[in-house]
Amino acid sequence: MTKRMTLAVLALLGTLLAAYLTLHDMGIIGTLACGSGDCEIVQTSRWSMLFGVHVAVWGVAYYALIFVVAMAAAQEQFAADRRLSLALVGLTGWGVIFSGWLTYLELFRIHAICRWCVGSASIVAVLFVLSVLDFRDQPRPVIGE
Amino acid sequence: MAKKQANPGRKRAGAVKAAKTSPAMRGFYILIGVIAVVGIGALSYLSARPKQAAAEWDSTLPKLTAMGHLEGSDSAKLEVIEFADFECPACGQFATLTEPDVRTHLIDSGVVAIRFMDFPLPMHANTWYAHRAAWCAADQGKFWPMHDAIYNYQDSWNTEATNDPNKVLSGIAKGVGLNMDQYAACIAAKKYQAQIQANATEAQNRQVDQTPTFVFGSKVIGGYETFDQFRANVEEAIAAKAAAAKAAAKK
Repeated sequence: MTKRMTLAVLALLGTLLAAYLTLHDMGIIGTLACGSGDCEIVQTSRWSMLFGVHVAVWGVAYYALIFVVAMAAAQEQFAADRRLSLALVGLTGWGVIFSGWLTYLELFRIHAICRWCVGSASIVAVLFVLSVLDFRDQPRPVIGE
Repeated sequence: MAKKQANPGRKRAGAVKAAKTSPAMRGFYILIGVIAVVGIGALSYLSARPKQAAAEWDSTLPKLTAMGHLEGSDSAKLEVIEFADFECPACGQFATLTEPDVRTHLIDSGVVAIRFMDFPLPMHANTWYAHRAAWCAADQGKFWPMHDAIYNYQDSWNTEATNDPNKVLSGIAKGVGLNMDQYAACIAAKKYQAQIQANATEAQNRQVDQTPTFVFGSKVIGGYETFDQFRANVEEAIAAKAAAAKAAAKK
């Protein structure tokens, strides 16, 4: 399996994980309560919303976007497309920064760690490493070509 | 002759098609498909699974000795007990999203009364300030307006928002229309500390470990309730109560 295929598989897993957290936030999976676990503390904190939308919903959109780009990049006719590699590095790099910010909030502001959020941060970190490796594998464009 | 020409053409098209989807790509698509189907299936299963595990209210324990605050008629068909923490977002969600409908459809019609029992959780550093503020409002007959305002402005006085919750809560108390001299004296003296602690002790004695926790007759349910869930639990408890009364009358 190529790096781009692995990126697509991991992005799909990330989409499913974010969908789980979204359904949990909406009260469709599990119960929304305080005192029952660290994920509940994190998910009911004031930091769980961004621009009026739950962070988990942003997560679904983010992973879905990476999945679409990685699926396109995995097609054989785009195997040497450097722009797709660059897009993946940009997207996953942003994800690493954002996940780092969320992990900081969990550790130092909310004082609780949700294992699902740690799982998501780990997926984003692996996605970023794979994207950088894929970018390095791409042939550099010849100047003047 | 024409037939002979058509066959090689078809063969070439088939060869091009086969070249487009290599075995590696086919395997990749199958893997993506399997993950998607298994993932969506797991989410559907988890969504459909009953999530509110109800516990039995221990009726062998003595009746509540701490009183909390009652909203609604004491002759309502059912009294629902709510153990809640003012700083808990799930309690805030219940107070701001569900409770207005509960008031309109169940409390005002005399079907239900809600008894609010304080259960300040140790993980919320500012919650005790809010519980004391609510009790000091009760001192002036305004517990429920203060209860609603505290939950509405939860983001402005909670642990993440401020290190001086009393200051923010005073502003809320002023907005509710409290006599501020009386309120300030009540807060400074921590006048109702013992009552709040007594309510929390009731929760601990009954193994309540999360907020909000609701008691519908003999059923204890933890976690946020939508209006539909709340009404269904109320109807079930009233039906169980009526059945128990009928059975007792037969004896």
